[in-house]
Amino acid sequence: MLRFGMQGNRTGWLVLAVLFLLILLPLIAVVIQVLLPGVFFGHFELGNLSLLLDVFRRPLWYVSLKNSVILGIGTTVLATIAGTAIAMARSNWTFPGAKLLDFAVWILIITPSFILAQGWVMFASADGLAAQWLGWHSLHSFIFQPVGLIVVMTLSKFPLAYLTVYSALEWKVDRLSEAARLSGGSSWTVWRTIQAPLLLPAICSGAMLVFMDTVGDFGLPASIATIFRFPTLPYSIYSALYTSPIRFDMAGALSFYLVMLIALAMSVQLYAMRKSRYDFLSSRATRSEPRKPRKGGIYLVIGNLVFLAVVIGIPFGSNLLMSISGSSLGKGRELTFEHYKALFAGNNDMLLEGLTHSLEIAAVAAVIGLFVGFLVAYVLTYSQFKLRKTIDVISLVSLAVPGIVLGIGYIFIWNQAWLEKIGLLLYGTPWILILASVAGVIPVITRVVVGAMAKVPRQLLSAAQMQGASFSQRLVSILMPLIKGAMLYAGLAAFGASVFDLAISSILYPPNFMTLPVVINKAFEDLKFGYAAAATLTGGGLVILIIAVMELLIKPSRKRVKS
Amino acid sequence: MANAYRMKGLMLASVLMATAALSACGNNNNNEANAAAANSTNAAATTEASTEPTTEAAADTADKSEPLVVYLNDFDDIVKPMFEEKTGYKLEIVSGNGAEIASRIEAEKGNPHWDVVWMDSMPTIDQMSKKGQLLDNWAPSNLDGLTDFAKSLVPANNTYFPTGEHAASVIVYNTKAFDASSAPKTWDDLLDAKFKGVVGMADPAVAAPAYPFVAWFFQSKGMDQGKSYFDGLLKNDVHVYPKNPNVAKALTDGEIKAAALQESNAYTLKNAGEPVDIIWPAEGAPASVRVAAIQKESKHQEAAKAFVEFLLDPATQQALIDKGDESYFEPSAKGVNAKADRAADAKLVVAEAGWAGEHEGEIKQWFADKAVK
Repeated sequence: MLRFGMQGNRTGWLVLAVLFLLILLPLIAVVIQVLLPGVFFGHFELGNLSLLLDVFRRPLWYVSLKNSVILGIGTTVLATIAGTAIAMARSNWTFPGAKLLDFAVWILIITPSFILAQGWVMFASADGLAAQWLGWHSLHSFIFQPVGLIVVMTLSKFPLAYLTVYSALEWKVDRLSEAARLSGGSSWTVWRTIQAPLLLPAICSGAMLVFMDTVGDFGLPASIATIFRFPTLPYSIYSALYTSPIRFDMAGALSFYLVMLIALAMSVQLYAMRKSRYDFLSSRATRSEPRKPRKGGIYLVIGNLVFLAVVIGIPFGSNLLMSISGSSLGKGRELTFEHYKALFAGNNDMLLEGLTHSLEIAAVAAVIGLFVGFLVAYVLTYSQFKLRKTIDVISLVSLAVPGIVLGIGYIFIWNQAWLEKIGLLLYGTPWILILASVAGVIPVITRVVVGAMAKVPRQLLSAAQMQGASFSQRLVSILMPLIKGAMLYAGLAAFGASVFDLAISSILYPPNFMTLPVVINKAFEDLKFGYAAAATLTGGGLVILIIAVMELLIKPSRKRVKS
Repeated sequence: MANAYRMKGLMLASVLMATAALSACGNNNNNEANAAAANSTNAAATTEASTEPTTEAAADTADKSEPLVVYLNDFDDIVKPMFEEKTGYKLEIVSGNGAEIASRIEAEKGNPHWDVVWMDSMPTIDQMSKKGQLLDNWAPSNLDGLTDFAKSLVPANNTYFPTGEHAASVIVYNTKAFDASSAPKTWDDLLDAKFKGVVGMADPAVAAPAYPFVAWFFQSKGMDQGKSYFDGLLKNDVHVYPKNPNVAKALTDGEIKAAALQESNAYTLKNAGEPVDIIWPAEGAPASVRVAAIQKESKHQEAAKAFVEFLLDPATQQALIDKGDESYFEPSAKGVNAKADRAADAKLVVAEAGWAGEHEGEIKQWFADKAVK
């Protein structure tokens, strides 16, 4: 057992080093600009620390902080409630269309928020689809105010809470609930006093994921800025980095507040779960089997479909309509495929080239990310490594830190002249995009794989070790086959998410190496809105196709292993 | 097997940790070395790993195999083949909007990857010149062939050269809402109560081309007068959009009826058959100047100079106007014809680059803070 622990320690340090290098170091490189503005250009001078207080003096910064806090808290509360409720319904009852819900949740997780937000804006703006086609003119004034944004954000981020709670509900200890029922508790009392408290860790970590993803979100404030000014911290960080004069120190100061928000949220979580033990799963635990609802099943089906129509139908439907409507309002709203034709017209191979590059980057990033994420999950699940909590936190940080901050940090770190001598000057090569994408996908991969590993008891690995199986043998012959499905899921989700990462690729792409998001963004800036929507949907469609094919190809072999 | 794994793991971990630990001090060493050896090692260490260390910054005169790296924000699709065909040098391009490029250049400052920057952000590039980041005191052969207006923009130390100027904003109006007589004709007209709530502009704190527009007001009227002009616009409920494309879209969607819009966006709308018309104010439209500059430590100086010569060549500028994506501009070289449908009376005015660069942060912050109130 001792050796087992030591093995965990070595892997633990390795994982910590990799996460530090990929995520924490670039972040530190940006935050340190407040303290030492010239540190990466070779001059040491003390920065102006009063910049940190400017957040209370400058109106824009103050409003950004306030908005981030409001949006973060509001979305976390709503999305956690919604996610938990849906997860409980899904795990208690079977109903037709339930698989659609699972599918939708994954689509929402891998779709970049700017695409979702853009869809909502097209739908709800004053002359948007809701007003034009459905005559819902009041929707505009509901959506474009803080509460409306919280609702939109909730509908995009609830999957994180849903997935965490849903996977925790897979096992249950009925004994406890039954005892409570026998003692005369109503089903509501049993839920309130037994089931909900036992779910607390899952609910908390779901809430944490939602909060981080929300405060770090740049797509929504950027997309709605055309209609309603709602600057958040990531938005102001973006302004500091992307408007001349470029102010890295200001971006550092604002990133510092973002990090503070995350730290605060984590302390709240720790406080909520203090002194409690949650390892309630025992050999009496049984796998939850959803039952057919005794009555009202039809309402579940209808409710599910309506819900999906809102969370998936509105954002994606709006993008689809945009991509097939005529290029100008002057000519009316006729439907056309001109934008799709334009994608591959003539000798304009920019889209194809960008698409190829993005797919390559995403594929390599998914494979590396899977490797790193697997080790992270292993350490979190099985090792006694003393810095496990730290690893847990770092593996989530890239969810909350905007891509541009990581991007700038990557330039600072990976563009230092001395790296050239050891062949590691990665900035200016496609490798930098791969590394940054790996950093971006680690949170998703880790969460999925941890969920799967939680079901594989440590005893299986210990038993194999007693029989003399080496570390790698144990991983390859015991652990991997058992969690293969989750690994596939995680890898495909990571692949899908990296294809569209605009923030990272626009700041890091090497010369003559266009990527899909860069091409799409350029189309937008050249006023080709229909083209941009068509390119987004074509790219997205291709990614989904690849994911589906991969699943079909790999799944049969998984069944063979099981039988 | 287990041992091998552990060894590899430990080695990888120690390499990673060492990389991390060295990152700060290593760079410092490098810069001290640079300071000692003037511009030698740093320049040699800029790009591909295959490069042999050279001591002279411009030692590769004969080497045409290594590509010249140009950072630019427009014309990315046509410049590469034209330049490669004409000179035989290979060209690699990083294109993005002005702010993305400026941000990359700034972040790369310790180890620049670019040889030439070419974009319509003269104040930013002027600041780079003042910080000593640009090659100075070199005169392209066609310097005398520039228009008087363009010549007046070249700094005394010859660090950058204008290749063309375009209006950062012209007045554009929806012809369904106004006709030639009722439309706003001067910048002051936009303050008129009859245009309350129907005028749009891009946010100078966000959109790169909107800054040269407002900078001219602040310089020519003075800071306080400039502020009161834009205060007046805001009080007249001007719609401020993040970027010019958003302004254009709002104009065609009918959300606004007139706008201060960047020149090529304006002509793109008009050529697409949108119901808009363009007015060039008699007092002048504030210009955005596209300039080219060579990085001081560039180790492809011959190719870089050839590229600047190429941009100042009247034939090149004519080709940009005839075939380019941002083709509405006033060429900087004599003997080049601007687009035929570009107004003959187009009068450009420009804020002085040094002044605009110095006050950029202050003015943008004023707009950013104003906007949240």
